[in-house]
Amino acid sequence: MAVENSGRWRGLRTALVLLAIWEIVGRLDLVAGGALPGISEILIRLWVDWGDYPRHIWATLYASTIGFVIGNALGIGAGVIFALSPTALRLFRGVNIAAFALPPIAIAPILVLTLSGMAPRIALAALGVYFVTMTATVIGLSQADSRATDVIRAYGGTRWDILRRVQFRGALPSILAGLRIAAPNAVLGAILAEFGGGGRWGLGAYLLGSLGRGEPDRLWGIGLVATLIAGLSYGVFALLASRTIGATRAVTLNTAVPDAAPVTSAPINRIAITLGTIALPFLVWWAFIKLTGVPGLISKTPLGVVDYLFFAPTAESAQNRLLAALAETLPITFVGMAAGLGFAFLLAISSRLFPRAIEAFMPVALVTQTMPLVALTPLLVLILGRGTSLTLWVTISVTFFPAFVTLAQGLALVPRSAEDLPRAYGAGRWTEMRMVTIPASLPYLFAATRLTVPRALLGVMIAEWLATGKGLGNLLNQSRGFLDYGMIWTVAAVSVLLSVIFYQAVVIVERRVLRRLGMATAE
Amino acid sequence: MTLRLNRRRFLGTAAASAAATSLPLRASAATPFTMQAAWINDAEFAGYFIGIDEGYYAEEGLDLTYLSGGPDVIPESTIIAGRADLALTTPDTTIKAIAEQGAPFKIIGAQYQKNPIGIVSLVSNPINEPKDLIGKTLAVPPVNVISVNAMLALNGIDPSQVNIVPYAYDPTPLIQGEIDASLDFTTNVPYTINQQGVEATSFLLYDFGFTIYNDTVVVTEETLATKRAELVSWLRASRKGWDENFKDPNIWPPKWADTWFAGTGRTIENEIFFNNAQQPLMESPAGYMAMTEEGIDANLRALSEVGINGTRDMFDTTLLEEI
Repeated sequence: MAVENSGRWRGLRTALVLLAIWEIVGRLDLVAGGALPGISEILIRLWVDWGDYPRHIWATLYASTIGFVIGNALGIGAGVIFALSPTALRLFRGVNIAAFALPPIAIAPILVLTLSGMAPRIALAALGVYFVTMTATVIGLSQADSRATDVIRAYGGTRWDILRRVQFRGALPSILAGLRIAAPNAVLGAILAEFGGGGRWGLGAYLLGSLGRGEPDRLWGIGLVATLIAGLSYGVFALLASRTIGATRAVTLNTAVPDAAPVTSAPINRIAITLGTIALPFLVWWAFIKLTGVPGLISKTPLGVVDYLFFAPTAESAQNRLLAALAETLPITFVGMAAGLGFAFLLAISSRLFPRAIEAFMPVALVTQTMPLVALTPLLVLILGRGTSLTLWVTISVTFFPAFVTLAQGLALVPRSAEDLPRAYGAGRWTEMRMVTIPASLPYLFAATRLTVPRALLGVMIAEWLATGKGLGNLLNQSRGFLDYGMIWTVAAVSVLLSVIFYQAVVIVERRVLRRLGMATAE
Repeated sequence: MTLRLNRRRFLGTAAASAAATSLPLRASAATPFTMQAAWINDAEFAGYFIGIDEGYYAEEGLDLTYLSGGPDVIPESTIIAGRADLALTTPDTTIKAIAEQGAPFKIIGAQYQKNPIGIVSLVSNPINEPKDLIGKTLAVPPVNVISVNAMLALNGIDPSQVNIVPYAYDPTPLIQGEIDASLDFTTNVPYTINQQGVEATSFLLYDFGFTIYNDTVVVTEETLATKRAELVSWLRASRKGWDENFKDPNIWPPKWADTWFAGTGRTIENEIFFNNAQQPLMESPAGYMAMTEEGIDANLRALSEVGINGTRDMFDTTLLEEI
């Protein structure tokens, strides 16, 4: 306990030191000729502008709260169904992976086209929440104490009784832990949709309106308020969790889509379920369009996209533009992902060797994760320019923290006895790392890779959209302006598909490698 | 629809007085009519704000709902989706959509006779004409890249000689010298930059051969067929609003500090400058919102330079004649 407390103070002290450095650097206009104002200048500006804020904050809170509630209702509902029915879980695997892997930036324009008013913001917020809560629910429910369920069964209790009396109670800590991650996701989702969705109120809308003013202190102020809201929403649920269950959990959840235990059934059934798994996301897409009733010129069904890309008179030009964009986007996505993972890995290893230094660094890392990317990118442009380095830094910043947390958790779980063995033979810390800790962390490296796939694509596309004018992000932005609806849907579909394929590829490699090494998949 | 109403109700209670005044005036028994603007609330739409506040639309029997735009709102999408009856658009994207995708649009009026977009640069590093752009970095909203390429081609410049990067409507990179010029509304941005203590200069694409309108009034063919009377009423009330606005462009912006312009993050002085600067770009011998045959012809010629092949029948001037 004492160690933990001193770590916390250390974190606070580092934060204060960093704030002081920020203030000095900002005051002296050392970064990009004043693009980074001092923290006091930002706060003063915030005070001056404060009259503008309440309505913008309310609009953002409104959309994210409703999205949070809807997303959680869907997530918990689906989680219960999946926990009860392995078939449903298997059937919805494709939908779940898509929900996890879709880069929000790619589907924001689609939501804006097909829904009106606050609905796109709510939908994007709900999407950010669904996967986290669903996973937490499935895991929580399936970890029920079998002795307790046996007691209920012995007394003649039904499946529902077990669910209500044992499983839900057992799942509560897991679900609450999920809500902590889900809350900031809802806020960030709502802001992203505001940024791309028009409308007068909301922090994203305010940011857009203020971009044209050329006043970095205000932009930073809006960014800080957004960060604060996202951070507070995390804090509220962290507090709630620790109050109700007296337990604290990790900052991120597992990234594995919950998988049903293999069932030995007829091959025909298995094939049917696999086909259903693949078809279902497209069915959901098709149903979404039919339900919104938006005219076909704007909304494209899966068949519409195929037609646009292969059979329409403009198909060849569309293919060329898409391939050119992919050729620009994919390499940098992989490089950024590798760099983010590498950075996270190094940091996780160092955190074993120099725990104090890393603890101090954590608050800063946490803040960068709650700052909306759309707010951060224009500011980074002023510091880094519009080249490849900007795209890389944006990508690293969105991937490294979640990867780091997953890896650090994994390293912390390496059994002491295994570490003691090389030490007993006189090995140094590095040798011990090399022989035990690093190999043992392999499952977590895979888990971290799964987690970073969609985030890397999101980072690259946002940088392309806002700064570099290249690749998929720019194609999406340009197509919106040219009313090229076919291309908007195509880019969205392709980017989701790529994320899903890459996610699956990681899963397959992971299973092979870990099976050969006799290790279990990390959650 | 219910969602939007809920949002209104929410905003109304959240910020009762201020939000309430920004809601469209509603007269009883009037025909509901919705317009989608092209940008966030600024002086660009002063005429419509006057029409709403002074009841010009209500007098015409219209219950007007005004939807603000923004860099990420595609006005044409709103009318295709049926969420608005009429949209203010840029003619290049509209005509491109009609010509290449068969979008069912008609242009029934034009707010700007001369498109206000131009190349903005700093006096300390001035770009006074297209050829000054060679070897420079120019920030352009991705939508306008074809317009800039057209203007460069019209002036004998190979577009590959200019480094074009995306523009997010933020003048900071220009002020910091990260870019040399940007494409933006010349009615507005030079003043914004001057407020930062740096002097800016600009020229219109229009004056270098890219002779198109802006904020063209666009409707779907279906709306044109079913709501013709309302459209004529809207044009009449809007012209009245603009007439009133330009009697003295300095009067109106300050009145909207807490209503139309609340929360946009811009100063009223900026809007007054804007309102004055846009007058010469909007005036037409045929009255505000007009489309003359020469004007239409100039649009089609400029667009054909970009490979957008518009035709005269994409414009319908008969409604203007009915005003």
